[in-house]
Amino acid sequence: MITFQQVVKRHGERVVLDHVSWRMDEGECVVFVGQSGAGKTTILRLITHEIQPSAGVVSIGTFRGGRLSRNQRALLRRTLGIIYEDFRLLSDRTVFENVALAVRICGSFGTEEVIPRVLYALDEVGLKHKQTSLPSELSAGERQRVAIARAIVNRPAVILADEPTGALEAKSAGEVLTLLKRIHAEGAALLLVTKSPEVADAIGGRAMTIEDGRIVSGQTTPAPAAMGPPS
Amino acid sequence: MRIYYFVEAWRSIRRHRGLATTAILGLTAALTLAGVFVLLTHNARLTLRLVGDRREVVVYLKDEIAREQRDAMQHRLEQLYGQVAYVDKDQAWQEFSEQIGDPDLLQAVDGNPLPASFRIKLKAELLSFNAMSAVAKQLQQFPEVEDVRFGGDWVRRLDDVIRGIQTGTLVVGILVALAIVLVLHNTIRLSVLARRHQVEIMSRLGATDRFIATPFVIEALIEAAIAAAVALLAVFALQQAFVARFVPIAFLPPTWILAFFGAVVGLAWLSAMLALNRVLRAVGP
Repeated sequence: MITFQQVVKRHGERVVLDHVSWRMDEGECVVFVGQSGAGKTTILRLITHEIQPSAGVVSIGTFRGGRLSRNQRALLRRTLGIIYEDFRLLSDRTVFENVALAVRICGSFGTEEVIPRVLYALDEVGLKHKQTSLPSELSAGERQRVAIARAIVNRPAVILADEPTGALEAKSAGEVLTLLKRIHAEGAALLLVTKSPEVADAIGGRAMTIEDGRIVSGQTTPAPAAMGPPS
Repeated sequence: MRIYYFVEAWRSIRRHRGLATTAILGLTAALTLAGVFVLLTHNARLTLRLVGDRREVVVYLKDEIAREQRDAMQHRLEQLYGQVAYVDKDQAWQEFSEQIGDPDLLQAVDGNPLPASFRIKLKAELLSFNAMSAVAKQLQQFPEVEDVRFGGDWVRRLDDVIRGIQTGTLVVGILVALAIVLVLHNTIRLSVLARRHQVEIMSRLGATDRFIATPFVIEALIEAAIAAAVALLAVFALQQAFVARFVPIAFLPPTWILAFFGAVVGLAWLSAMLALNRVLRAVGP
């Protein structure tokens, strides 16, 4: 599903990723653990084609390496659900409108399907009752749950989570991790990057440690038994 | 989905009221100037059409030509140049008498020295100075013709005026078109940059350029349409004020208003597309 083959990423003289190879399959849960600047977020940005590798090949599903056109890139991103540490919600839209935006962007659903899909996603994250609130009226944990609802509303095959608990206090972080585990258990592949080994332990799945742009520990390819979501 | 685009455009206008108001005011000023010039052009054309209708070539005939000869020539001239009216010697004297008005002066003239003539109202394509000169030269070749007059200097001056108005219209049109493109290009660019955060989020969620751009295009069209409507109202008010104080001038006919409106909206669309094509590549990650 996602494959990195000998991927190198340089920013000027600095090597951010150094011949990184790894793979994840459908329905898997993969966690990258590493300190700031280790190259975790670069991996996510390569997957979403925000940046291009300096060398090597990044394949996501049927999108196999190379520079994509802007339309192809948009299509690729619509197959992913992305969660950011800083939530990236639109501050002038309600919770409902933030989640509905992802459905409208997807373009695969009619107008009549927007409301039930959004309400279902908000119900999944336990925020149906806050649908008319603005992000500024929510706690950090609630805002991250809105971001999760936005990520899952189109039922993507893969959820990418960039430090999803980084801005949350312990209780909210626990709730978000439980939610992500449940979403993974329902069938979505989950790729999470974090600084915290505790988060990696809590979420489970296949963990890889990344340091100075290299994978230094962990299994880089899925073990046959580890494939598919936990039952 | 289409309603979504309009809602987004309206939301953007409301959220960036200052920017939208500045754009509408700037466009209104440029379009009012253009509208005044279009109004002047329209009235100048009406006037010139009236004056142009009086352009004619007068062919003075020799006295000795026979009626058959004259009828044949009239038929030939109608085929070649346009409507031909025959003015005989008596009619010419009568017109001359009416113009002079002084019976004593007329009595001093011995007999009727005026020749019969053909007055030719030329076809539209022969109304320029060059064409009329060529026609006059051709007419001089007819053996029945004594002399040909068409008021060359006057026609040349009239042609110069027409050319001046056409050039002025073109120059003002190009300047106003550039102003519209510049104002809207910058407005849309600023509008996108003001919503950079939103555009980045939408891009990361997989929005196509078209999805992101459509509300901005609609925003530009709404602003341009409002400015065009206000400018036309201002031009109408000016026309009414001019009519009340000076001379009657006509307002623009519906086809001209529609063309004005269509041109403005078309330019707005073009400006928005140009701006978005550049700015989305710079903003969208």
